[in-house]
Amino acid sequence: MANDDIRALSEALAADPASLAFVPLGEALRRRGDLEVALRVALRGVERHPTRADAHDLLARISADRGDLERAIVEWESVLRLVPGHAGARKGLGFICFQLGRLEDAAAHLSAALTIDPEDGSLAAALQTVQSELAQRGTSPARATVQVSRQALAAAIDVQAAERAALLEAGVRSSPPTIGLASQMHAADDASTLFDDLLEGQRSAAMLLDADGLVLAGRYVTADGRDLAALIGAQLSGVSDEAARAMRHLGLGAWTQIVFETDAASVAMAPSQDGVMLVAAARPIPLGFVRRVLEHALRRAAAWMREGG
Amino acid sequence: MSTSFAPVTESLIRHRGVLGAMVVGLDDGLIVHSTLQIGVNGNAFAALTASLYRKARRSSNAAGFGASSFLELTAEQGRVCTAGGKELVLVVVCETRVNVGLLRVELLRAAEQLP
Repeated sequence: MANDDIRALSEALAADPASLAFVPLGEALRRRGDLEVALRVALRGVERHPTRADAHDLLARISADRGDLERAIVEWESVLRLVPGHAGARKGLGFICFQLGRLEDAAAHLSAALTIDPEDGSLAAALQTVQSELAQRGTSPARATVQVSRQALAAAIDVQAAERAALLEAGVRSSPPTIGLASQMHAADDASTLFDDLLEGQRSAAMLLDADGLVLAGRYVTADGRDLAALIGAQLSGVSDEAARAMRHLGLGAWTQIVFETDAASVAMAPSQDGVMLVAAARPIPLGFVRRVLEHALRRAAAWMREGG
Repeated sequence: MSTSFAPVTESLIRHRGVLGAMVVGLDDGLIVHSTLQIGVNGNAFAALTASLYRKARRSSNAAGFGASSFLELTAEQGRVCTAGGKELVLVVVCETRVNVGLLRVELLRAAEQLP
């Protein structure tokens, strides 16, 4: 899709945020490799249209491309709850199960997809790949890793994914996130670890977001080692937008801090230059501590930005 | 007009620095009951704060944090605190000098009584 088409879809969505233009827009951005922007579009689409299977399907595909397999599984399972015969969801789940080495599940999903869409030659090829691997595993039960080329299966499902998988198998990290390798944390750099020493171990996180909700610094690492900063940032940055909108009408001046408590976490955010500083901590951590971390993190973010971070 | 929510809002507005307390419909942002000092634009605070609370609730759910129970918005010239049930939320408008810790405890306690 041409840039003009993307611009037109963006404008259509801006003019009518409830429109379904987010689906082709998110897909176009995904295909172009703008995965973080695509993610934001899809998340907002799902938020507005939680009962639309195509919204969840879009979010699942973007998540898979970003390597967030857990999220992709959740979204494709949502699709199947809404449309039990959704071939794309079965196909996606089949691919992910293969990535995770769950070959029986992969075969089941791909078989179901093929039943739904028998004309899709790529499905037959993918299923054959999985069945071949299953047969080999049967003769070698001690084998723990999937040795079939990821590239082969990816090629059967998604040309772009195949390209990324090929790079990945060659040991090359492409700049777009690589499919299926989300769970492998990339090396922490200065930006991602900028706030680590301010935090209470892994039960809290600090992130500096730009005006579009994209992560500039900091990280949100889960207990199993995944960095969810981009997802959390994309979701929560909308709160600051809403606050800024409210402040225009309330006559209280500019907002300086938002704190909210949820079932699982305490979240504090404050404006930082053109973006937002965000701190989240598991609920047992006192709210006062979260606010103090936010203040420290704001100062550090400002210094980091001054130094050209 | 007095409603069953009057004791709640009247208790909240007795805190030093509180300018208004309201029970507001979460979905429509309309005031169900309010106790306001003169000059406080209750309708604007109700509508915009309910909208912000809804946004925070949706976002925190989407981020995997679960539903939000308390929200505090601090601005240059005041604060707004909100706590809520599924249908109604309590909105308190206050000066920046308010004792937020105390107000939070009372808001959360009062919110437990809301549907």
